[in-house]
Amino acid sequence: MEHTETIFGQIEPDIMKRLVTRREAIMKGAAVGSSVAAGLAMMSAPIALAALSREAFGQGTPLTVQQVIDFALKLEIFENEFYKAVLGISAVAAQNAAFAAVRAMVPATAIPAIQQIQKHETEHVAFLLAAGAKNTLNLDGTSFDFTGGRGSGTGPFLQATTDVHFLLLVAQGAEDTGVRAYKGQAPALQVNPPVLEAALRIHSVEARHASKIRRLRRMAGATGVKYSGTITGAGATAIAASDVSNPAPGAVTALTAIYAGEDNVMQGGLDVTALPNLPSGINPNAATEAFDEPLTATAVVAIVQPFFIPALS
Amino acid sequence: MYLPVDVVEPPRGWATPTGSSSLVPPQRARRVRMLVSGGKSGYHGHAFCPAGTRVATAGVEGGFMSDSGKTFVVTSTEQLWKGSTRRSFLKLLGVGGTIVLAPGLFEACDSYNPVTAPGGGGSASLDLSNDIGILNYAYALEQLEAAFYTAVVGSSTFSQLNAEQQEVMTDLRNHEVIHREFLKAALGSKAIGSLSFNSTTVASTLTSAAVILKNAQAFEDLGVSAYNGAGKYLKDSGYLTLAGKIVSVEARHAAAIRDIRDILGIRGATAVGTSFAGDDVVAATGANAGLDVKNEPSTVLATVGSTGLLTVNPTIGTPPSGTATPDAPPPPTP
Repeated sequence: MEHTETIFGQIEPDIMKRLVTRREAIMKGAAVGSSVAAGLAMMSAPIALAALSREAFGQGTPLTVQQVIDFALKLEIFENEFYKAVLGISAVAAQNAAFAAVRAMVPATAIPAIQQIQKHETEHVAFLLAAGAKNTLNLDGTSFDFTGGRGSGTGPFLQATTDVHFLLLVAQGAEDTGVRAYKGQAPALQVNPPVLEAALRIHSVEARHASKIRRLRRMAGATGVKYSGTITGAGATAIAASDVSNPAPGAVTALTAIYAGEDNVMQGGLDVTALPNLPSGINPNAATEAFDEPLTATAVVAIVQPFFIPALS
Repeated sequence: MYLPVDVVEPPRGWATPTGSSSLVPPQRARRVRMLVSGGKSGYHGHAFCPAGTRVATAGVEGGFMSDSGKTFVVTSTEQLWKGSTRRSFLKLLGVGGTIVLAPGLFEACDSYNPVTAPGGGGSASLDLSNDIGILNYAYALEQLEAAFYTAVVGSSTFSQLNAEQQEVMTDLRNHEVIHREFLKAALGSKAIGSLSFNSTTVASTLTSAAVILKNAQAFEDLGVSAYNGAGKYLKDSGYLTLAGKIVSVEARHAAAIRDIRDILGIRGATAVGTSFAGDDVVAATGANAGLDVKNEPSTVLATVGSTGLLTVNPTIGTPPSGTATPDAPPPPTP
């Protein structure tokens, strides 16, 4: 039946020749799973491509819907408490005090944006709770160390309390992590379409936030950041920390993990940089900007654990 | 969807064949005349018509090249999708020539398969009960966005945008063209055809910097609402992830355009500096507070139709299989 056939089964030979030029590299690289390699070995593009499209998130056992919304709740509480501390409205005086110095440096024009973002995080927490998510770790304002030190208060992100550029960089990282986390869990929610749709609607709000933070950074002088709010490449390129001086090595490592894989240009097995009809002179970076990449739950936990005092998972 | 009433002369690069950027590649518009001899002038057929509905071919696989090498006769729709035909066609485009479509090529088929319609005139009836149809729906929307930004960047109005706005418009053009071409390549022979645009209406979306930005916001918010509303209908988890990779980029675009207009003092019912994710677009009250816009495909396509940007609007042949949810449409664009 036609309806069960993968869309990648009917790619034109001419296009295939241009787009799958990286077949050998993929086969040598062992960066893809055996199902992809098997498909390629059989010269069966449809099988390989269909398998590739599933590999981005296919690692590990899928979470249940309950596990996904519980996990999302942890991230939303974290984001909410972070912005409350930044704005000085946390229920925990010490969290407010920690950001007092940098709070005074936040441009007045950026305050409404941060307030709006924090409002949404509060609403996301409420929505998830109403949807049945459980705060299994009883997280509250005291549960976090925003320096990324698991309670030491002297983690590699301490600079965010004294350097407004670094603060915005951390906010960007938090938002982009949220976008990647929701994207990675969307398949696990397919069994429950209403919850999936709600998650997608939160996911795009997080992306709006990330875009605004990036624009604030660009306006504050971060040169590698796009006004379009999109993510260019991975690692240092995606972080674009031209406005931050001497970040702690631990912070650089953590931020690099947040953007790992965002430089991917292979989508559904097609090399996006080799598509036909692209505008002349287009920068290959556009291919990385045009697609945001998911993260697995495991990767997200590794990224955010240093900010949570209780052990996650 | 905002539609300005003022219509000015078509922008450079849109309706004329010599512009640096246009919906129709300049060389194609300049060099090729396409003739339809006999039959119906509108598109009604597709590549999978029952054999009895097709006109006999000229006996030359992949069409017929005349002695001069400048006339190319296509006698069945299937030929258009064969590699040899395509190569000949592309070769002809390079030398200048005439494409002749034989009589009957566009005769309607009795058994119309909407999913596979290659759509010469942009006609497409979408079967949204399967993933191919949903992805074609996305492809149609990306065609719309890509065409808009391509026209923006090629328009005479583009120079009226400031440096930041020009950077954003160029980025968005690049991203949307990539989305369009990616979906087209991924769908392969199952892709709907290229949509046909009403050049006069398109020109009316480009009359000033303010009008461009206003329409850009409408496009991006609509795109976000479309992906958010269609994701639940995708059955394949890989396709859902691909759609997710695209929708967050659309949301970034929407926030950027909204922020640009916010700075200019133009925003909906939301506080200064918050339009990027304003109370007018992200639900501010009720059980769905904090959730972004969402539209069912029927709502999105009705909105697209109301713009008059397309000469033939995509329609829904078969609705999605699944339970629709209440729409949370983007607000009227301020």
